[in-house]
Amino acid sequence: MSLLVVNDLRGGYVAADEIVKGATLHVDEGEIVSLIGPNGAGKSTLLKLIAGLLRPKAGQVRLRDRDTAGLGAPEISRLGLSFVPQERNVFGGMTIAENLEMGGFVDGRHAKQRIAELYERFPMLADKRRAAARTLSGGQRQILAMAIALMNAPKLLLLDEPTAGLSPRAAEELFGTIVALNTSGVAILMVEQNALEALAVSARACVLVQGRVEREGHAGELASDPTVRDLFLGGKAQPMLAGSV
Amino acid sequence: MELVLQALLNGLVSGALLAVPAIGFTAMFAVLRFPNFSVSGVATLGAFAGYTAYAAGFQIVGSLAVAFLVAGIVGLFLDKVAHLPLVKQGALPAAIASIASGLVLENVVRLGFGNDMRGYDRPIARDVRFGELRVNPQQTETMGVALAIMLLVFAALAFTRIGKAMRASADNPELAALKGIRPERVAMMASFVGMGLVGMGGMLLGLDSSIDPLTGARILLSIFAAAVLGGLGSAPGAVLGAFLIGMAEELAVLVVGSPYRAAVGFFAILIVLSVRPRGLLGERAF
Repeated sequence: MSLLVVNDLRGGYVAADEIVKGATLHVDEGEIVSLIGPNGAGKSTLLKLIAGLLRPKAGQVRLRDRDTAGLGAPEISRLGLSFVPQERNVFGGMTIAENLEMGGFVDGRHAKQRIAELYERFPMLADKRRAAARTLSGGQRQILAMAIALMNAPKLLLLDEPTAGLSPRAAEELFGTIVALNTSGVAILMVEQNALEALAVSARACVLVQGRVEREGHAGELASDPTVRDLFLGGKAQPMLAGSV
Repeated sequence: MELVLQALLNGLVSGALLAVPAIGFTAMFAVLRFPNFSVSGVATLGAFAGYTAYAAGFQIVGSLAVAFLVAGIVGLFLDKVAHLPLVKQGALPAAIASIASGLVLENVVRLGFGNDMRGYDRPIARDVRFGELRVNPQQTETMGVALAIMLLVFAALAFTRIGKAMRASADNPELAALKGIRPERVAMMASFVGMGLVGMGGMLLGLDSSIDPLTGARILLSIFAAAVLGGLGSAPGAVLGAFLIGMAEELAVLVVGSPYRAAVGFFAILIVLSVRPRGLLGERAF
């Protein structure tokens, strides 16, 4: 059953500027879906439109069979979706414990229990619970950002370039964490520049070009598709991008 | 040497009194993102509200509560009506508007109370001597009240849900909004609490000396200098900055005389902005 259905979604940062131009995709329960594509294709904008950080100009987003039109980010979060931004995704001046507390701000009733569960899942966070978030390494910070998002016990996690700026080893570890999260029942829609690695852990993938989903399919099939490989997975040159997929 | 030690001791007292409005100023900057210079008028209003309550028979703590409430409500009203609508156009228009509203408030107080200096009618107490150093018990009491207020503020920021929400909003407003912390509510809370602290600061300074419609204007530069020195947006920085400015002002009196005491604030701002623009503790350590 589809957890998230996006239909002909359009929008951007300002009303006149349409970056996402009719994107259609879906995410089923418990699967990882990667969103790949060239720079400027609108991948991050699409995530922000789905998460309610930007207001769609047209189209529809249904989350757990409910239309999210008119809902803000906190209301959409209450429906079971959590978004992890690419940058500035933690409260740098606050401790890790306080970061997690703020992650569960909308529903503080189960916060203590959730924090205990997250400490069990990510022992590093428990060890450094009194440390300020700004003192964490890049990989640790991304884990904290995901843990903040998990405070709402989401069914679907949107990750915007989770491995950006990380060392290859830290990125590999983070992909391991993402898979472990998914195994525990959280569906994931992920924008990722390390497309090969993202496809390796995903069930399906969508290729976004100029604001539209141009290709969609099983991650393994897309990873072995010569055109997709050439264009997005370290193959041929940029000039082929426009209109060639 | 005794003079220097006495000046440092006096500086500690005036620094503690200055720290209360400086925390209010920096807390508002951290959340609202503009320097709110109407604190001059709000400090004056707080001083007179506390004075009126004290004259009506309230104790010091009760009078401080009145100063907090009156300054907080009026400050919040000014922010809602005159300052925050301009923040969308940038910090500068809001800052300029706040200078104007501070002047309006100062003159409203002048209209109501006149230009005369007034003093809180407190019993005279003999100085306590430690060798060559002298400490006034009333100053010690006022300093103790200021320190207690600071402790309360820091405890509220560290342990209460709304205090943490304010810190989160100051730290990362986009993420805070994403997590359901409503920015407009946090802004209102920061404005009310910040202005309330400024009002209490005005009264504390009045307890230490006397009050008149220019009470707030006289301390505006010191408040701003303390906040800039500690790092605009940093509450611990504001406290550190206030103590340093307080002691530097008292030492400056020894060297250049009291008429030039106010120059300390200007020099502090000049030096900090030239050498370490983020201040001693860095901005947003709130």
